[in-house]
Amino acid sequence: MSLDDDLAAWAATVRLPDADATAIFRRIVAVPVPLPAAAAPRLKPSWWRGYNAGFAARMVASTAPVRLAA
Amino acid sequence: MDREAEFGRLYEAHRVAVHAYFTGKTGDRQLAADLMQEVFLRAWQHLDKVAGLPEDGQRGWLFTVARNLSVDAARRQRTADGAQRALESEPAGRPGVTSPPASTAVLAAERAGVVAAAIATLPERQRVTLTMAAAGELNSAEIGAALGVPAGTVRYRLSQARRTLAEALGDYDDAQEEER
Repeated sequence: MSLDDDLAAWAATVRLPDADATAIFRRIVAVPVPLPAAAAPRLKPSWWRGYNAGFAARMVASTAPVRLAA
Repeated sequence: MDREAEFGRLYEAHRVAVHAYFTGKTGDRQLAADLMQEVFLRAWQHLDKVAGLPEDGQRGWLFTVARNLSVDAARRQRTADGAQRALESEPAGRPGVTSPPASTAVLAAERAGVVAAAIATLPERQRVTLTMAAAGELNSAEIGAALGVPAGTVRYRLSQARRTLAEALGDYDDAQEEER
């Protein structure tokens, strides 16, 4: 008996029997699949560009020079 | 194609390999079946993503999940082993409980038992690789892709494992010969 034959004989003892594999398959497909989450409404990239530009401009305009400590 | 049929194709294409991987990892066919079920349950829940992948990509996805699960399982096993050791270290106080004479029976069993025992003693990497090749019916390239190692490394591990097995079987044959 060759080593390959020995390994094949051993492999046959550790493989999952088809009946068990089928039972597992049945259990899995019985699990309800979660519905895909509804996509959250998103703002357009152009809105964010405008917002960021406005934010930066407002920050610069509203920043007062810091007085030096006396 | 409906969802169940799509999943059935994926399951049939990869279940043997995934089960072989876990068998090599755990040495326990039933535990391997439980872990395989967990992998495919995740595939079922993410089928829209997995089904769109090419064959190699599907195998890669499944084995990424499998590797992560085996890490978790090993961690749980270590915890359980620790608990078992703690229990065993307690005073027994349970007369009548004796250890089964299973080890001698296994060692004295026929050739298949010798092969199984020799495989069980292989280093984990060799054992997993050999199990995926023998029981999982994967070639070196496929095993390498699944484990994230080069195919040459897989071939090296296989040759090391086969050498160890050949030695074990040679010793067994010699012993049989002497008995005759």
